[in-house]
Amino acid sequence: MSFLSNKYLLFVLRLIVGGLFVYASMEKLMNQEEFSKAIFNYKFLPDVFINIFAIVIPYLELISGLLLILGIFKRGSSFIFLVLLVVFIIALTQAYARGLDISCGCFSLETVGQKSDILSRIIEDILLLIATIIIYIKSKIIIIKENQQ
Amino acid sequence: MNKTIKEVFIIFTAALVTGLIANFISPRGIALIRDDSSRYVIDSAGVNNGFDIKKRGKLNKAGFYEPVNIPVEVAKQLFDDNVKFIDGREDFEFKEGRIKGAINISYKEFKDKTIEQKQQIMKDLNKEQMLVSYCSSDSCEISIDNAYEMAKAGYNDIKIYLGGYKEWTKLGYPAEK
Repeated sequence: MSFLSNKYLLFVLRLIVGGLFVYASMEKLMNQEEFSKAIFNYKFLPDVFINIFAIVIPYLELISGLLLILGIFKRGSSFIFLVLLVVFIIALTQAYARGLDISCGCFSLETVGQKSDILSRIIEDILLLIATIIIYIKSKIIIIKENQQ
Repeated sequence: MNKTIKEVFIIFTAALVTGLIANFISPRGIALIRDDSSRYVIDSAGVNNGFDIKKRGKLNKAGFYEPVNIPVEVAKQLFDDNVKFIDGREDFEFKEGRIKGAINISYKEFKDKTIEQKQQIMKDLNKEQMLVSYCSSDSCEISIDNAYEMAKAGYNDIKIYLGGYKEWTKLGYPAEK
């Protein structure tokens, strides 16, 4: 029974994390120039990589988000989100520490100038990271169990 | 772990290929390498090497004069020559403190206006007069973006003072509330 509830929990978590990333990717895809500018504002990536990042990341989020919702390649897609979230958190934290006036560009391209806004984004991303870690670990366990049966 | 790596590789390749193709086809596609060089036409080295501050930026293909980036020494020199400073920050920030005599054209509101509306907002300024755009510091891009909006609206001699209000007040230059 507990295994069943875990399965449902996993499904809900997948919907939330996957859905949020699909939503986030849409806004970035509509405003790639703005997203490129947002990355530029973080000042943590060499200029030559900024636009490649701005081109690939939204599709990476979109494809991984859809796959996670559909339950295909769960381990791969959750691992990608894990890496992305860690990168986002590091970028936000260093921006917070340096007191940069940045547009976060994580889930919205709207200007985030207040330090408290950056802090709430960091907390938001940490919560998502926890959910993603649960998905990744549980997907692995379920696959191992299925293989054993 | 092997399975994870395999899946990551497949997803990443799909994203890379889709992204590059979509970017190539899309009219809103962006250049593969970000180029900000045109936004920073003249740096302080350029000024020290005999850059003529009276000369405006180059006329670009889009039909407007490129704003020119200036360092603090030049900004101060222009301030002493009574050149108008434009503060691109929001109203409340402007009220909290600004470069003495600056006028507030908030980029947040200005950017979405039509060319005619922009010209109406700036009607008291001459299109040929030199203007200096600034914001809080070099970690905000408003000074640059606002300068470009004004240049596109037909204002032909815009300078960008990137150091902004933070650098200005740190040096003890004239400010007001």
